[in-house]
Amino acid sequence: MSEFLIRNAYVIDPLSGIKGEIMDIAIRNGRIAEEVGSNAEVIDADHCLTLPGGIDSHSHVCGTKVNFGRYMSPEDMRAGRTARKGVMHVTSGYSVPTTFGNSYRYSVMGYTTVLEGAMAPLEARHTHEEFTATPHQDMLANTLFDGNWSIMEAVREKDMKRAAAVVAWTLSAVKGFAIKLTNPGGTEAWGWGEDVHSIQDQVPHFGVTPAEIIQTMIRANELLNLPHSVHLHCNALGVPGNYRTTLDTIDLVPDLNDKRQSLYLTHLQFHSYGGSTWKDISSKSEDIARAVNNKPAVAIDMGQIMFGRTTTMTADGPMEFKLYMLHHNKWSNHDVELETGSGIIPVYYSRKSLVNCVMWAIGIELALLVKDPWRCMLSTDNPNGAPFVKYPEIIALLMSRRFRENEIALLDPRTAHYVPLPAIDRELDWYDIAVMTRAGQAKALGITGIGKGYLAPGAEADIAIYPLKPESLDPSAEYQQVMAGFGKTRYTIKRGRVVARDGDVVVEGANSTIWTRSTVPPGYDLSVDPEFMKKFEQYYTIRMSNYPVQDVYLPRGICIPTEASL
Amino acid sequence: MRVILRTKPRKKPFIPIEAETIIPQNFLRKNDVRVYEGNKERRLEEIFYITTEGPAVSPDQVEIVLSGETGNIKRVGEYMNAGRIVVEGDIGMHCGNFMSAGEIVIKGNADAWLGREMRGGTIRCEGNAGHYCAAGYRGEKRGMRGGLVEVMGSAGDFTAEYLCGGEVRIHGDCGDLPGVEMRGGNLTIGGHCHRPCGNMTGGTCMVFGRVHDMLPTFRGAGNEEREYRGQRCQMMLYKGDAANRGKGSLLVKNIEQDGLSPKKK
Amino acid sequence: MKIDDVVCPFCGCLCDDLVVEVEGTRVVSVENGCTLANEKFMGDHRLKTPIHREGKGWKETTYDEAIRETAEILCDADRPLLYGWSGTHGEAQSIGIHLAEILGALVDNTSTVCHGPSILAIQEVGHPGCTLGQVKNRADVVIYWGTNPIDAHPRHMSRYTTFADGFFLKEAFRDRKLIVVDVRKSESANIADEFVRIQPGGDYAVLSALRAIVQGKRGIIPPSVAGVSREQLFRVADLLLSAKFGAIFFGLGLTMSRGKSKNIRNAIELTEELNRHTKFIISPMRGHWNVYGSNEVFTWITGYPYAVDFARGIAFYNPGETTSVDVLSRKECDACLVVASDPGAHFPKACAEHLARIPTVQIDPHVNATTHLSRIQIPVAVTGIDAEGTAYRMDGVPIRTRMLFRGTYPSDTAVLEQLYAIVKEIKGP
Repeated sequence: MSEFLIRNAYVIDPLSGIKGEIMDIAIRNGRIAEEVGSNAEVIDADHCLTLPGGIDSHSHVCGTKVNFGRYMSPEDMRAGRTARKGVMHVTSGYSVPTTFGNSYRYSVMGYTTVLEGAMAPLEARHTHEEFTATPHQDMLANTLFDGNWSIMEAVREKDMKRAAAVVAWTLSAVKGFAIKLTNPGGTEAWGWGEDVHSIQDQVPHFGVTPAEIIQTMIRANELLNLPHSVHLHCNALGVPGNYRTTLDTIDLVPDLNDKRQSLYLTHLQFHSYGGSTWKDISSKSEDIARAVNNKPAVAIDMGQIMFGRTTTMTADGPMEFKLYMLHHNKWSNHDVELETGSGIIPVYYSRKSLVNCVMWAIGIELALLVKDPWRCMLSTDNPNGAPFVKYPEIIALLMSRRFRENEIALLDPRTAHYVPLPAIDRELDWYDIAVMTRAGQAKALGITGIGKGYLAPGAEADIAIYPLKPESLDPSAEYQQVMAGFGKTRYTIKRGRVVARDGDVVVEGANSTIWTRSTVPPGYDLSVDPEFMKKFEQYYTIRMSNYPVQDVYLPRGICIPTEASL
Repeated sequence: MRVILRTKPRKKPFIPIEAETIIPQNFLRKNDVRVYEGNKERRLEEIFYITTEGPAVSPDQVEIVLSGETGNIKRVGEYMNAGRIVVEGDIGMHCGNFMSAGEIVIKGNADAWLGREMRGGTIRCEGNAGHYCAAGYRGEKRGMRGGLVEVMGSAGDFTAEYLCGGEVRIHGDCGDLPGVEMRGGNLTIGGHCHRPCGNMTGGTCMVFGRVHDMLPTFRGAGNEEREYRGQRCQMMLYKGDAANRGKGSLLVKNIEQDGLSPKKK
Repeated sequence: MKIDDVVCPFCGCLCDDLVVEVEGTRVVSVENGCTLANEKFMGDHRLKTPIHREGKGWKETTYDEAIRETAEILCDADRPLLYGWSGTHGEAQSIGIHLAEILGALVDNTSTVCHGPSILAIQEVGHPGCTLGQVKNRADVVIYWGTNPIDAHPRHMSRYTTFADGFFLKEAFRDRKLIVVDVRKSESANIADEFVRIQPGGDYAVLSALRAIVQGKRGIIPPSVAGVSREQLFRVADLLLSAKFGAIFFGLGLTMSRGKSKNIRNAIELTEELNRHTKFIISPMRGHWNVYGSNEVFTWITGYPYAVDFARGIAFYNPGETTSVDVLSRKECDACLVVASDPGAHFPKACAEHLARIPTVQIDPHVNATTHLSRIQIPVAVTGIDAEGTAYRMDGVPIRTRMLFRGTYPSDTAVLEQLYAIVKEIKGP
């Protein structure tokens, strides 16, 4: 197999403690090696910024609702089309690119691992098919449990171990990676056209509260020793005044894990609103950041919005309907029996909208006010806040106060009254960015154990070499260069192969899907549990034997086994 | 400058030619103009005999004349913003799409999607137009937003779909649902049509012929007078489409109308 | 040998609870299936070998020869069409699209003559839907509009709606109300609580009227709309508004009658309006067992669900321009590959004539109407019987079909892979 040597790289590898050193990196057989022979192919990184491959911890790129977003939006497809070129297939799509479109665009930006934000277990096969068609990134799936009937029944019985058993069976059956909760309780209520409004509201019929679901699942997650924590999209997304729900949720979180957070709160910008109506919505980023700063058991990602058009898509069916009532754009909905929901609607974030300006400020504020970059990761909840190709612009905003000032000057002039952003001086540095776009994610997702997110010998050789020279580039002043540089690597290397060069993908991909299997004691094996089997016999419309995702869907699957402590 | 393009005989004449490159500005500097025939790229000379007369220093001084078997030459005038195109016979789909200025004259018939998403300029078709004349793009909220599309003959179904600005005049008949989804602009139909203005939310549509199967969700709002081709006409005014909370105006000539009779309230 | 939980590859219901008995390479009995399933599994008469037209007759040929000649036909063409796809598994559909991409061909599936208009409507106003289990467990009002499930989707009512007990409705037949809307009193209409008879072509007007009534504008409605009395319209609207969970299923009565996609759009907008008052969903009754699968695969690869034209090296989509019936009736295509469908039986005469005129190749297990228009036919295994692969049910739920026995025929995937390799070799880098 092949040997590579990258010379003169300006390396920032936070997990290995390297904060900006000129080094060589040796690669053999797809992994970082101590050294390689003289026959190795040499890449001269010429003092360019060299980081572990990008890891996106929350992005909607594969699966039923994503494909819904594509197929209902031919105008989005025609806005982002590219022609066949070399090994690159035709792509279409601006905010919801086709799978090859996503894969190439991520690869060109240096990303080598992506976590799909939401996968309904019943439709997991679809997600896995699209994973294989996103060939240049290793993929992981957040598996939805927010409206899961077996889970809610276990929560009602206060049976944490049974909840864990349901999770274990399901993740193993559908080859999922982690527990995802989206508006827990709300998606079941939406089965009747209703929603929950606080974490203490009762879910119709099931009689449990979101708080109970969240607390049970956090503990179940730790009983299963899963690599990632529970990944939560809080209740009341987008509602003016919802910061209180977020703070209440943060208060619930116990500290159960010394390697990582016990709860990951995603796209927190959408959950940080003060005020009580659209007319007085304000930023509560300071309160939220303070709570996060004081609670090491919690990690978050930004959920930054950027101006322009995009498509919103989440499992939060009732929230998407609210957007429909507000904007009257075309609206799709897809509830999944016994499990969860989803909704899709295109949106346009405008500088002329005061509300949108406040939203834009909040995401950046969270990143600047949360002190520890390991616990506030960069995201746009792609594509809900903005397409991921906007990440470089967000990085530039975080690194340059001047850029922020110029942008703030273009906003609705009343914005400053509602947000603290203009007064925030902090500028993130290269190290912070390296943490927020890969090292932090690897730690939060618990995938350092399989060699992701760092560049020491033994790690996977996923590397991004950016055309940026930190030794001579002042990111605070040269933000345009920062933006351009993070948008297109000189080299993206995945498992030791050069996959992208200067904006073109140069090889066919062969990615892996990473999933978890938690072994439970025989007493908790639900495949022989009558109550669990009854769900398939009576309420699901698919037979239990046809539900699991067969091995053939993961041609190069990587299973992370764990032992449950039940 | 006058550029005359006369079609050459082709081995497979039923395969359409994709010719969005046929716009005035591309002929200013002897550009190597390419078109597509199926999945094959062709030079313009392979498809047309080309004659150029006179100089031009800007696109608005360029006139292109198309003649011969032009009925399946598509996208002529797409994104045009200056100059003039004359088609001696029929023209293929998508003629004048996204046009923002200039003039297109078609002496024969136009195939579907004439002037789709037009922004400005003038298109005049002396024959008939196909379906989706002056329509929008599926999925976008707004269609034609400016300019004038005038058809001396008849048009097919879904004329002026998504219209939000500009003028569309069909002197003959329209097919089904002309003005469907319209939200602005003016649509004038000299002849008959079926089920005009379904789901309309704004803009004005006038029908001087017969309306067949008038939709039940338009509210009568009195009578008004309008002029068409020098004649003063009494019109019944309807507001709708109520099914879509619409506040558009549909004016129908006060003659005997069949199908669901328009109500007078 | 008895095999449980077999997936039926016939209609969009994609029932997965069949019990099938296999002896060698034959299915000898089917339990739980409807008559369509019985025929699909047991009445399986295959073409034995690849055949090639010779004069007015046929001669047998080999797979290698047939596939090579197919590759040459497609590479020679300036405007080839790859049509069908709905009757095979997703993995094969995927290869078909990649094949079209390197050929610069048109690629289209059977939506083009079926629910294409539904897709167009969804592209205008979205699709408020759900999986079928939501309907089974919750719906107390079910509407079948322009569709006759008793005939076309025989187990739909017993598995998902009228006769299917659910978690929140323990006695479905008693607790659910059934409304059927059609131009004639179909068999499904016979068992409806409310039958609405519409004049042909009048669906759009009735849907507009219902939308207005739901908005509270009763005063505007004339005494009758398309043959439906105002009283009945009010009664139906009240039924819809009083539902706790309403589900509208619609079929070709809406997609293939005057107005087409605008009919569906109107029905979707009615559903969206109803969601302001109560919970309502709408879903198309997809015909083929994997037509939705072809839409899904087409979309994640090209961005568009059907009617894709790769001639210019990008994916271009414009139904009416890139759809098979249009390109064939305009005589644009100069070669056609038909996979897993039967355009000879379903397309207008002008299209069939053109298919006969140009070199047409069919990949299909059975002799059908398209055989008579083709120059070459290559028989393959039947997905769900002697080939397996992914299928998508009418509501988007993906289920893997089973291989019941190992036969002697190659699968669609195997044939298409070989075809793709040869085309790639001919076309060069």
